[in-house]
Amino acid sequence: MRSFLPLALALSANSVTPPISGLAGMPLGTAAPGESAYAGATARTVKAVIDYTRWPQRHDPLVLCVAGPVLHAARLGGIRLADGRQVERRNVVPLVQALGGCHVLYIGQVPISSQRQLTAAVRGKGVLTIAEADPAGTSEAVVSLTYQPGALSFRLNIDAISRSGLRIDPRVLRISQGGA
Amino acid sequence: MTTPTLPEVKLPTLRDLLARAHLRLILFAVALATASLVLSGVMVIRSYAQRNLDLVARTVAYTVEPAVVFEDKEAIRDGIVSVAAARGVDRVEVRDRQGQLLAHWQSPRIGSLAALSQPANAFVFPNPAVSQVRRGPETIAEVRIYGDSEGLVRYTLAGTIIALACLALTVMATRILARRLQSEVVLPLEHVAEVAHAVRRDRAFEKRVPSSGIAEIDRFGRDFNALLAELQGWHAGLTSENAELARRATHDNLTGLGNRQLFDQHLGEMIAQSQRTGAPFALIYLDVDQFKSINDGYGHDAGDAALIAVAERLRSAIRHVDQAFRLGGDEFAVVLAPFFNQAHVDGVIDRIRLAMEQSYRLPNGMAVTSMLSVGVAIFPEHADSAEALVKKADMAMYKDKQGRQGPPENGALSNA
Repeated sequence: MRSFLPLALALSANSVTPPISGLAGMPLGTAAPGESAYAGATARTVKAVIDYTRWPQRHDPLVLCVAGPVLHAARLGGIRLADGRQVERRNVVPLVQALGGCHVLYIGQVPISSQRQLTAAVRGKGVLTIAEADPAGTSEAVVSLTYQPGALSFRLNIDAISRSGLRIDPRVLRISQGGA
Repeated sequence: MTTPTLPEVKLPTLRDLLARAHLRLILFAVALATASLVLSGVMVIRSYAQRNLDLVARTVAYTVEPAVVFEDKEAIRDGIVSVAAARGVDRVEVRDRQGQLLAHWQSPRIGSLAALSQPANAFVFPNPAVSQVRRGPETIAEVRIYGDSEGLVRYTLAGTIIALACLALTVMATRILARRLQSEVVLPLEHVAEVAHAVRRDRAFEKRVPSSGIAEIDRFGRDFNALLAELQGWHAGLTSENAELARRATHDNLTGLGNRQLFDQHLGEMIAQSQRTGAPFALIYLDVDQFKSINDGYGHDAGDAALIAVAERLRSAIRHVDQAFRLGGDEFAVVLAPFFNQAHVDGVIDRIRLAMEQSYRLPNGMAVTSMLSVGVAIFPEHADSAEALVKKADMAMYKDKQGRQGPPENGALSNA
């Protein structure tokens, strides 16, 4: 679907509102003792992004691979999508060889060069890559989570989307940082 | 045109009536057309606006769905603004499942009609357009859109203004129409009224109503003209009859000469004229000699024939300025117009005597000649009043009769 992205861009270009001061992004909610304050927001964001992503084939259950050490991924297990599918969490080592069968790749706290290797390895293979530790957006992952004080935002890499072999609802683009 | 003898009553003119009737009709028509147009327009626009609101609600629901999922209120608001910030939308609300307000947008409510349209909103769009935001099978939020009636108010206002302009135009057109109708309808009627008035005032029976371009009025005018023609005929007949009656009252039936009444009147006039001008005039009394013996001897027809013959000869003998009268029986009189000397009077008398010498025929075929006894009196020389003048003339005539014939009873009939 080649028209998908231009449509998204057109939609965002249509917006007439000036930026409004206030909290942008997902509110954090309450955290359980001992886990990251962002754990809940991270889980909800990951679920929502998966919800608005279409794979070339329908996977049930969907396999979410969590690679490397993570800070905010405590609640990624047991996610249930809006259409009822289960998301199966699988912890993997952050190596290219360990990524077989992953539909979603959550990349944890690994060096940016390793992140790039991982994203390059699954490029074009229908894997949604989400980077936890990429505030500058240089990992070439499809989604980069950006942790702000009190809120969680994310950034979509349009180039990565177009190369991923996935389709992401253009409406999501507008919610992502810099999208609108 | 009002009759001057009648008191002025302010009656409405035909033009006023026409103008009023037109105005009412047009006011009614324009009001009806405007009301139905504006009403149907408002209904159509309202239904389109309602459909537009439903569409906007569905679009907003679709647009803000991911933002609701990502719990990003700012993104929800952005989504609302990108879709709903348009004409016809007054307020947009997005509430979550619990009814909690997630985001809302309110139109700036600026513009000249905001003050009018704001109170009308609740009346025009009593219920908001509602659309559910769904994610999979479950409803995650609800969008409510409250309509803005500014467009409707503008349409209604414009319709009313146009209607008023149309009214003003049609009122002017009515006046022009009434004026034209006046020239087409009222003027022909006024012609009839003018003719009727002239006939009544000046007895101008010869006047006629000109033909008009309207069938009914033309027919009316023709009938009116026919009526006038009849009236004219009657009037002429009456006039001539009256003249005949007047002539008969003052003239002798047998001879056609003026009678005693006319004689008295004429003599009075002549005396008054003579007193005014100082010119004398003469009165001649005449009596037919032996008339009684003709009457008795040959019958009344013969007597009448004698009188007619005398009258003819008298008439032919006098000048046209003189007047002959038959006073009764065989007595005649001639009033001579003013003269300048006695010779004029003698000349007239001589001509009368000469004329009488011609014989005439009685009904039995006998030719006879009658002689006249003549008495002359001159005003004011012989008398200063009509009675005295008549007496003088009568006496002079009597003297003449005696002098010429001796005792009247023995007068011989002279045969021609």
